[in-house]
Amino acid sequence: MRIYEYVLRRLALVVFVLFGVSAIVFYLARGFPSAFTPWAQYVTFRMRPDQIEAVIKAHGFDKPLYIQYWYWLVDVFHGDWGYSNWANGLPTYKVFASRFPFTVELTVAATIMTVAIGIPLGILSALKNNTAADHASRIIALTGYSTPAYWFAYILQLVFFYYFYVWGLPNLPSGGAISQGLATAVPAITGMPIVDGLLAGNLAYAADAFAHVILPAFSLSFISLGYLARIVRASMLEVLRQDYIIMARSKGLPERVVIYRHALRNALIPAMTLTGLFFAGLLGGAIITETVFSWPGVGYVSLRAVFQGDSNFLLLYSLVTALIIVVSNLVVDVMYVFLDPRIKY
Amino acid sequence: MGEIIAQTDTRQSETRARIAEIKYALYLMRQNPLVLGGLILVIFFIVLSAVATVIVSPDEALKLEFGQSYCWNNSIISWTPLEAACPAGTNYLLGTDGFGRDLFRMIILSIPLDLAIAFVIVLTTTAFGVALGAVAGWIGGKFDEAILRITDIFFAFPGLVLALVFAALFGRTIQTLTLAVLLVWWPTYVRLTRGQVLVEKERTYVEALKSIGVNPARIVLFHIIPNAIYPIIVQMTLDIGGVILTFSALMFLGFSPSPALPELGNLAADGIGHVFTAPWLIVFPGLTILVIALAFNLVGDGLRDILDPRLRR
Repeated sequence: MRIYEYVLRRLALVVFVLFGVSAIVFYLARGFPSAFTPWAQYVTFRMRPDQIEAVIKAHGFDKPLYIQYWYWLVDVFHGDWGYSNWANGLPTYKVFASRFPFTVELTVAATIMTVAIGIPLGILSALKNNTAADHASRIIALTGYSTPAYWFAYILQLVFFYYFYVWGLPNLPSGGAISQGLATAVPAITGMPIVDGLLAGNLAYAADAFAHVILPAFSLSFISLGYLARIVRASMLEVLRQDYIIMARSKGLPERVVIYRHALRNALIPAMTLTGLFFAGLLGGAIITETVFSWPGVGYVSLRAVFQGDSNFLLLYSLVTALIIVVSNLVVDVMYVFLDPRIKY
Repeated sequence: MGEIIAQTDTRQSETRARIAEIKYALYLMRQNPLVLGGLILVIFFIVLSAVATVIVSPDEALKLEFGQSYCWNNSIISWTPLEAACPAGTNYLLGTDGFGRDLFRMIILSIPLDLAIAFVIVLTTTAFGVALGAVAGWIGGKFDEAILRITDIFFAFPGLVLALVFAALFGRTIQTLTLAVLLVWWPTYVRLTRGQVLVEKERTYVEALKSIGVNPARIVLFHIIPNAIYPIIVQMTLDIGGVILTFSALMFLGFSPSPALPELGNLAADGIGHVFTAPWLIVFPGLTILVIALAFNLVGDGLRDILDPRLRR
């Protein structure tokens, strides 16, 4: 099979998965009007019962679910995602578009942190295999994915916001993406506070935004950096046993060159895959971390949307998230072919 | 007669080989202090949850004493300048929660519920996932394709959102929350088992069994699954920690049936509004979850090395 055939087949699969996700979410979000009331955003307190009936009829909420799904699908293909109940009737896509850059910023920061800590940790524990350093990295890895995300987030807040303040040290902000007084200091061009601050040349704003991103990003990266380190360690050990490494050593290359130029390049391929998937997973919004840090991203809004029965936002949110995950899986698989010429499809 | 003796001989040598294998695995386990530590912790928590209601009387521990809310009288640790002391004559090791209950006793009472739910969820998903995965892998073709595509859909979901929506729709009961976690957990086992079955299916022993006319259900159930079970056991051990984390996160995010329910995530949720004035409410229940999850993960991580002969280096 040629690579483009493979990509085409996978793209067809993407469409199928998106339909599946939308059908399941649509069924859950619209099929139970007593819990998630889809006509809530068209109804006000002053309406009489017969007026509400009229609203339900006018929007087709009394029709069978598959017909409603068809209506929704037609609207979506016309770019109409409906109105968000959570945002008091703003168009759903506007709510999403205004919140998504915050999630992107947090994701980028968390990924940079994960890679910057995880990969060196992995290399270290591979080179010092079965020593104290190796055991320590194993414990860090396992602690990382045994840690309740909400708990770790609050611990970080407690220490770096509250206790640092109590001890008279410079403390980090406990939540939000930017300090209240600065909120409108620069025009929102990209929607990401750090980038906007830099674009406007307002370094104080960018620094404030940077201080806000540190804790949530670290709390996200802590969970996965250990896992990344384990993968790097495993593939590094695998690579170091290969003949070409023995060859490189026996022809007298310095150990530094052997490890960083010959071994590391190949050992990092699985790590890159994992980082890509991690990045994609976080782009879908880290619900718990964003909620604890009041980070105004899509994950935070999606929890609010669940509580308010905002079916339109949930539909848009889960579709975008599913799209990101499926496409990134595809991208990672295709990248593999370019990085590792031995792999064929 | 001779045939029977030969048969018992092979049986005996098989058993002997199995025992040697187990002995070797135990030896490896002794060599690995982390796994041993994890195993001791796991046993400790299971025993603790079995005797929790004996150590701590639920009637007494769950009594609400609003006069003693959020107090701390442990002089060794001082949390903040703001903490309130408990009324004279009372002594609470880990302080009290918003209902004036002893947090230490509440944590002990919560562990059985968390562990029980984790075991129920992991065992149910495994049974369902292994059955579906084995059938899909064995039959192959259209059925396999269909199952795979369904798992694709579930893998693409933001799992937590699906569980949240499910819990929000069908009411905040333990049963609904358990179902919500089940709903997002099963595809992993289907994929895992299917992959294993696909590998085993091509082995010579399966061909031999087929050629002597053994019932396919028997081949899958008694020959393929036992040969493919190790990665599944490892995954189960690792997932117990993951399930406890997810379930307690649902509780923490506000889907608890009652704020007074003794469940670790729920206990931590009680402290959300008091992070800086009564930090022990989040610190200790969360730490307990961390230690339980870590114990199971240590065992799972070690089991992977021990059970997989290819990794025994």
